[in-house]
Amino acid sequence: MKLSRVRRKERIGERFVLLELEESGIAAQAKPGQFVMVRPFQEVFDPLLARPFAVLRTQGDSFTLLFEVTGRGTALLARAEPGDVLSVLGPLGRGFSLDASSGVLIAGGRGIVPLVFLALEFLKRTIPSLFFVGVRERKELALLRVLEGIPEVFWSCEEKVAGGFCGTVLDLVRRHLDAVFKSDAKVYACGPEGMLRKLKEIFSGREEKVEVSLETRMGCGFGVCLGCAVPKKGGGYWHVCSDGPVFKLSEVML
Amino acid sequence: MKLSVHLGRLMLQNPIVLASGTCGYGREMQPYLNLNDFGAITVKGLSLLPCEGNPPPRIWEVRAGILNSIGLENKGVGRFLEEDLPFLENLSTRIFVNIWGRTVDEYVAVARELDKIARIDALELNLSCPNVEKGGASFVADLEELRKLVRGVRAATGKFLIAKLGPQVRDWEATVTLLEEEGIEALSVTNSFPALALDVERMSFIFALKTAGLSGPAIKPLALRMVYELVGITGLPIIGMGGITTADDALEFLLVGARAVGIGTANLVDPSSAMRILEGMQQYLMRKGITDIEEIIGRVR
Ligand SMILES: Cc1cc2nc3c(=O)[nH]c(=O)nc-3n(C[C@H](O)[C@H](O)[C@H](O)COP(=O)(O)OP(=O)(O)OC[C@H]3O[C@@H](n4cnc5c(N)ncnc54)[C@H](O)[C@@H]3O)c2cc1C
Ligand SMILES: Cc1cc2nc3c(=O)[nH]c(=O)nc-3n(C[C@H](O)[C@H](O)[C@H](O)COP(=O)(O)O)c2cc1C
Ligand code: FES
Repeated sequence: MKLSRVRRKERIGERFVLLELEESGIAAQAKPGQFVMVRPFQEVFDPLLARPFAVLRTQGDSFTLLFEVTGRGTALLARAEPGDVLSVLGPLGRGFSLDASSGVLIAGGRGIVPLVFLALEFLKRTIPSLFFVGVRERKELALLRVLEGIPEVFWSCEEKVAGGFCGTVLDLVRRHLDAVFKSDAKVYACGPEGMLRKLKEIFSGREEKVEVSLETRMGCGFGVCLGCAVPKKGGGYWHVCSDGPVFKLSEVML
Repeated sequence: MKLSVHLGRLMLQNPIVLASGTCGYGREMQPYLNLNDFGAITVKGLSLLPCEGNPPPRIWEVRAGILNSIGLENKGVGRFLEEDLPFLENLSTRIFVNIWGRTVDEYVAVARELDKIARIDALELNLSCPNVEKGGASFVADLEELRKLVRGVRAATGKFLIAKLGPQVRDWEATVTLLEEEGIEALSVTNSFPALALDVERMSFIFALKTAGLSGPAIKPLALRMVYELVGITGLPIIGMGGITTADDALEFLLVGARAVGIGTANLVDPSSAMRILEGMQQYLMRKGITDIEEIIGRVR
């Protein structure tokens, strides 16, 4: 693992924290969909394992993470302040394919993170994209801030809010299905398991063109422990850290 | 400074061994660690045919430890020899291969396949797998069965043979005597501890098979005591392991008489752990003015 200094910290809404970390190797190499393993502080052996997080974007010699505080590890990480030093390993895993003629991006909650990086890459390559993002509660709408500079964003919230679509992100996608299907777009999605499972209904018959980024519990993040198994279509298991985290919807059993 | 240690007829350039299941088939560690810096690397437990392993979840974190239920997933001997041996052959470090089977015959068949490969320095028998012929009991639970197993494997290979033991061993003296009689040349102690975790919210077990193996800092004092006791009852060289995360942890095992140390869970937590531990040991020896690591082995009895 490499030591990496926190350059900037920002709280986003009540539950999210954004950290910009100095590490030129990761900044130079990371591709959309890849992730890093992070240990909150050195010489802390409880919690023991590093935590996996997708890269939100890179800038110069630093990269940015955006995470939701959900348990002990992320609570500890949320205490990091500018100047603090964390241990990081990465970039890890296989990211999204970038050979699309156009993209449809579908994010649920914190699933927005790897897709922002993808959208920025598409922007750089002038590949047109539509970005659909959904959050559960009104207070999570703060997340939309990280979409600044990205065109063609559609958002939904399951709570009623002025100005936005009320419902799940997939309800929102269904309303735009004509546009989605008409363009020969590749679809990229990241979000809760239930949402990814429903993608199979919406894109039935088109699973080959849908890429999903999965979350699993990880031991190592780099392929040695075999702890991150997800069932393969047709039997056996993939290892999310080394075979993924991005898979074609047609390859995995959700 | 002399760091090399002898395990019987086998010499290691230093006492650090990467433990089975925590360094893959070797290649996976390459970006993070120079494998040639260590005494030995132990390849993930191999069976004759590929094994799919257990359904997820397979890893659960507990305080200062992890439970794993990997279920001995591996690609099988054939694919290992094809895909990974070429990489390993270019290393200068010792190569140990951890092996297992569901029956005595399977262990013997794996040993026979690997015996043909000159580059492999030692076989480590994982003795805590369920024995399907005996209805799921592990091989160490039945001494008669254990004797058959070790005798069969010994006859199939001339390689340096290590027996890997875990807390399932019932009668340590009888087990160790048997292993000595049947030609085992070293012991790895310890494998993970059978343990349990529940999901309180869902009111259910975490793992499909209910129990799983506990490893990491949480087991270190237990493992250290096992090694301490064993050094008192056998002359076989012991590779001590269980929760080693710092140089001091490793030194404790050497001080009670282990001749080498295995680094397991720490490799997952940070793939550069083994290097950090080795450097810390060297600093300790320098600070103490000790020029030969042998001087500390078994110093605290
Ligand atoms: C490839 C990948 C990318 C991810 N990217 C992001 C991201 O960009 N932003 C973000 O907020 N979260 C992301 N996650 C999820 C994040 O890793 C977990 O929320 C986090 O590990 C929880 O840690 P904790 O200690 O707070 O939770 P606890 O529940 O206390 O953790 C206990 C253990 O469970 C593991 N764990 C718990 N929930 C998850 C989960 N959903 N996924 C993986 N491991 C879990 C932890 O790593 C830890 O080992 C990603 C997960 C993966 C696999
Ligand atoms: C993910 C994982 C996989 C393991 N796989 C094997 C294995 O295939 N064969 C084996 O004999 N031991 C296996 N072990 C046990 C370790 O080699 C080691 O004996 C044990 O974890 C205790 O040491 P530690 O606390 O340093 O990890 C595995 C351990 C872990 C954590
Ligand atoms: S997390 Fe260890 S192999 Fe994927």
